[in-house]
Amino acid sequence: MSATDTVALPGVARQPEGGGAWRAWAPRLRAALPGAVFCLLVAGLWEVLARTKQSPLVPDLAEVWGEILRLLAGGMALEQVGITLWRISLGGIAGFAIAVLLGLFAARSRLFGAFIRPAVLLGLTVPGLVWALLCVIWFGVGLATPVVSIILGIAPPLLVTISQGLRAVDSELTEMAHVFRFSRAARIRHVLLPSIVPFLLSGVRLAFSLAWKVIVLVELFGLSDGVGYQLNSEFSSQNVAGVLAWTLIFWVVMAAIEFGLMQGMENRLTRWRRESSL
Amino acid sequence: MSAAPIVFSRVGKTYPGIGARPTETILRDFDLRIEAGELLALVGPSGIGKTTLLHMAAGLETSDTGAVQTGGDRRLGMVFQQPRLLNWLSVVRNVELAAEAAGVSPRRGLELLTEVGLDGYQAAFPLGLSGGQRQRVALARAFSIDPEIVLLDEPFSAVDALTARRLRLLLQDLWLENPPTGLLVTHNTQEAAFLADRVIVLGGRPARVVEEIKVDLPRPRSPEDPALFEIHRRIMSRLI
Repeated sequence: MSATDTVALPGVARQPEGGGAWRAWAPRLRAALPGAVFCLLVAGLWEVLARTKQSPLVPDLAEVWGEILRLLAGGMALEQVGITLWRISLGGIAGFAIAVLLGLFAARSRLFGAFIRPAVLLGLTVPGLVWALLCVIWFGVGLATPVVSIILGIAPPLLVTISQGLRAVDSELTEMAHVFRFSRAARIRHVLLPSIVPFLLSGVRLAFSLAWKVIVLVELFGLSDGVGYQLNSEFSSQNVAGVLAWTLIFWVVMAAIEFGLMQGMENRLTRWRRESSL
Repeated sequence: MSAAPIVFSRVGKTYPGIGARPTETILRDFDLRIEAGELLALVGPSGIGKTTLLHMAAGLETSDTGAVQTGGDRRLGMVFQQPRLLNWLSVVRNVELAAEAAGVSPRRGLELLTEVGLDGYQAAFPLGLSGGQRQRVALARAFSIDPEIVLLDEPFSAVDALTARRLRLLLQDLWLENPPTGLLVTHNTQEAAFLADRVIVLGGRPARVVEEIKVDLPRPRSPEDPALFEIHRRIMSRLI
């Protein structure tokens, strides 16, 4: 190894230097602090508003907390959140798979890209509410209603995100793969998919947030369970604290998915960036 | 392994005009044969068609007329100006993938990583390496497939002069182990003289061979060999 070539270190993960668990967690806590301050600020402002208004339309924090405890105590919250998450997962995975497949085909064939462009534009402009209503009418109260609604709601914006990612794939790497005669599977696995990881991750996040908006409408209009249905029930009985409690419970679940699952996946898929900068 | 000849027969290439750029015929009825086991260097002014010829041999471009023969389904390695490594895969995986695609054992690739001075760096990711180290990985990748043809596209122009010198010596060592057929495109006339068996100087438009210089010096060569300076001077005299 030459003197000029030995500036980099082998890719070995750096360990925290002493101090145990606290040193390992300190950066994460520091990163979470601004978000926590924001939440506390919003809660404080809400409490001030509730005490000022003294209205059942603006319940105070204690009342909302009481509702959350009531929903959690009977296991109802867990059951209903589970039902909604199951529907989101099915529709989300199917919509994601369809968007990736169509995106790949569109990237390979300009003709196919032009062929599906009107459908993508239509999908981007039609509100989720319309898909929810139509699917309730077409499919009734079965599982097909939420799944198809979510697919129709998330596939078009996902397709746009994935197409952008595919356009950003480095043509020099594609040439390299061609020269070294990588198989099609190797090109997709080792060149194409890793190149579009940032786009796929943002696509998954986008899909989750859109799917949540669609599923609430579907459950509200056409189903007899799930978080959307429960929100409507609380709304019908003018229980604002109940509406807020369901919203907060689901928000916590989504935050757990983001910070637990999504960030874990992101860390794993982008490990090379961190290790490269050591 | 048997090296395969590369043959350009009456090759023609015209790039269509785009916007203010006029239509340009850069190659017309161009003939060139690179013998099996020979390393030929193409030098000439920018835009003369050197890279076009190299890309045709690599299968990255097609000729409008004529034919480029590389012996069919040959194992072909290439070293680009930039290393073109997959930054999300470790050094060793980058080399192994090429071997897997070529259907050869990855063992040679592992040996080569040691030969190019990257022992201990197998698990590192490319972006954690210096430019010279990355190009060493690219060299190991090209030779890991036991290539019959190796194409070199200005392989050391993106590294500093001292690193380039070391990499040329390394390339010479790798070449001598089992010489494939090689096509080197470079702007560096000293590099062409040091590495090649024959140097072709291109000129004109469409491009034609203006000088053909045989480098009959024994290998391994030294970059300081005075005979190389004479060849370098001959090449330069046709370029200026």
